[in-house]
Amino acid sequence: MNSTTVKRFIAVALAPSLILYALFVFIPVLWSAFYSLFNWSGIGEASFIGFQNYKELLGDSIFWHTLGNNVVFVLASVLGQVPLALFLAIILYKSNAIQRFLRAAVFMPMVLSTVVIGLIWNYVYHPQIGILNFVLDALHLSSLKMEWLSDPDIAIFSLIPPLVWSYVGLYLIIFISALQNIPGELDDAAKIDGARGFTKLFKITLPMIWGTIQVAMILCIAGSLKSFDLVYIMTRGGPAHATELLATYMYNATFSTYRYGYGSTISTAIVIISLLLIGTSQWLTSRKK
Amino acid sequence: MIKAAKLGMIAMLIVVVLAACSSNTSNGGSSNDADETITLTIWNNWSGQDAKAVAMRKILDDFQAENPNIKLEIEALATDGLKTRLRTAAAADEMPDLFVMWPGAMTKEFVQGDLLQPINDFLDQNAEWKNNFIENALVDFTVDENIYSVPMNLAPSSLLYYNEELFKQYNVKVPTTWDELLQAVDTFNANNIIPIALGNKANWVAQSTTFSTIGDRVTGTEWFLKAVEQDGASFTDPEFVEALKLYQELGAAKAYQEGFNSIDENQMIQLYTQEKAAMVINGGWAVASLVNTASEEMLNATNITILPPVNGGKGEAKTTAGVVGTGLGVNKKLSGAKKEAAMKLFYALAGPDGQKATLESSTLVSYKLELDPSKANPLFIKLTELMKETKIVPVYDSKLSSAAVEAINNGLQELLLGGDAEDIAERIQAAQASAVN
Repeated sequence: MNSTTVKRFIAVALAPSLILYALFVFIPVLWSAFYSLFNWSGIGEASFIGFQNYKELLGDSIFWHTLGNNVVFVLASVLGQVPLALFLAIILYKSNAIQRFLRAAVFMPMVLSTVVIGLIWNYVYHPQIGILNFVLDALHLSSLKMEWLSDPDIAIFSLIPPLVWSYVGLYLIIFISALQNIPGELDDAAKIDGARGFTKLFKITLPMIWGTIQVAMILCIAGSLKSFDLVYIMTRGGPAHATELLATYMYNATFSTYRYGYGSTISTAIVIISLLLIGTSQWLTSRKK
Repeated sequence: MIKAAKLGMIAMLIVVVLAACSSNTSNGGSSNDADETITLTIWNNWSGQDAKAVAMRKILDDFQAENPNIKLEIEALATDGLKTRLRTAAAADEMPDLFVMWPGAMTKEFVQGDLLQPINDFLDQNAEWKNNFIENALVDFTVDENIYSVPMNLAPSSLLYYNEELFKQYNVKVPTTWDELLQAVDTFNANNIIPIALGNKANWVAQSTTFSTIGDRVTGTEWFLKAVEQDGASFTDPEFVEALKLYQELGAAKAYQEGFNSIDENQMIQLYTQEKAAMVINGGWAVASLVNTASEEMLNATNITILPPVNGGKGEAKTTAGVVGTGLGVNKKLSGAKKEAAMKLFYALAGPDGQKATLESSTLVSYKLELDPSKANPLFIKLTELMKETKIVPVYDSKLSSAAVEAINNGLQELLLGGDAEDIAERIQAAQASAVN
């Protein structure tokens, strides 16, 4: 088989997925960007207003606040989910019974729908009958009790544990498969050379799975920028926009205040910001061979 | 052999995926008039377990049984979901044949978008029914002399439900003035009882159930209607700022429990029925759900009143915020046999029998009907007695533009957290002004 045949085969094999992707993802993104140039309430006429929506967006203090919230989420995900999953993967990648049980336990939240997770954690944080406040009372730490989801200063941080809890399982699985793919000879070579523990971890294991870590980071950033359902269920973006994310703000603008044009502007902004962040993260973590 | 099996499995998978992806919802398209069966799509918000939803679903079932040649495709969604779905359908021009619709701003917008047809002729054909509605019932469904629906219930949104036992236990007088209300709040706080339960996660609750009435007490209705039209009054006027500050005062007196912005309407009623809170402010619709979910003792101990008047306020004392209830919108595209079938269903749900069924499910109606005390829950009887002496004033979210409603809902959350009343007033003013102009 020469390389042209191989290339042609690859092109043909990828074509169906690419077409579906273009139709359902790529084109709607462009369509949305088109709508962002209009002022439309969803019913009746749409009037063309050029880049006015974007001007309004740049001056919208709520937008910048939500961007800040999203950055908090991205940082919490990248610095929380990825290292935690990596740590758990390193402990749990062998295959005896206890490890397999623990892996399943960590993966469980992925199986639950976000609505269920949101409702469970809502009750954990409930000011009167929540488990968290109850436990704090029992441990005589009542002074640490706070209004977890009501206080605008800490509400956004209260949303991080459910977020991390629900997605750690995904990255755990990715890292475990990466770790299990490290050839066994390296282990033996390391033993012979006397590399143990942390030296082995940092000089051998991590560099071997660095590509996977990069992929995990992309997934993490993209996922947390799209984050919508958890926040929508738990706080609706409140109180008074304290936990508003880009996606919930876009949803509100489109479906609560009926400004489809402005909502499209926000979603186009999300796409641009995601591209910037992912590009930056890839550049920062690329390793020149 | 193995290759064939693999191909077969892949083919099956594709078929299953495609079948799962195909949607089941039908568009509001026209059906052939010559056909025996007429299909009607109806979208509603009777999805819960409250008495009214149960009664409405029964009417639909009975209608289906009595009219085998009309096939009903029913979609029931919770209120917020229904409103969103109607709007997306409107944007895609795929409206259902009949749908639950709110009076006031929503009706106006749908008329502007050319989605509804008037029912003036149908009403005139059934004059007796038309004339039996209470005064001004049809006003909020009327645009330019065309009437687009009739109300199927009456929704005072601001009623003070209180636990008489707790009031007696702590020797608290049922408040008839604002100061007495603040006193009651203090006494309950001193005894570790939540004075008023509030669940403002969905952020319309504070505005609709409490602030609309407080606003009216301070500013009077005339001022409000002018401010909505931006015609001689603006939301930055001192009387509105005063109303905001008064509400902030109530919050600062710790009338509400901690964390009120993180629980929703259902959980707030739970706090009341579990006797952790002495009062809860909610709409008339709460009776239908209390009747089905609260204990016998709780129902007996509950009484209903309205918010007390405010010193020096311009509003009338015996009023409370509310709106005539939801109606049914009729799709503009209906005609011929399909339209006849739709109007038949309309009459079954909103006609005299439908109104009676609603009343018997402990829900107020905008129709002149005598309540049969033997069939009604005692709590509901208390409510109807109260409503006989109470006039309805407009609830804010039925008159304001959706942008202003967003601004005031978020603004009230901020206000109760200590925000600045003047800033919030300015934001509401800006939102309403840009929507009107």
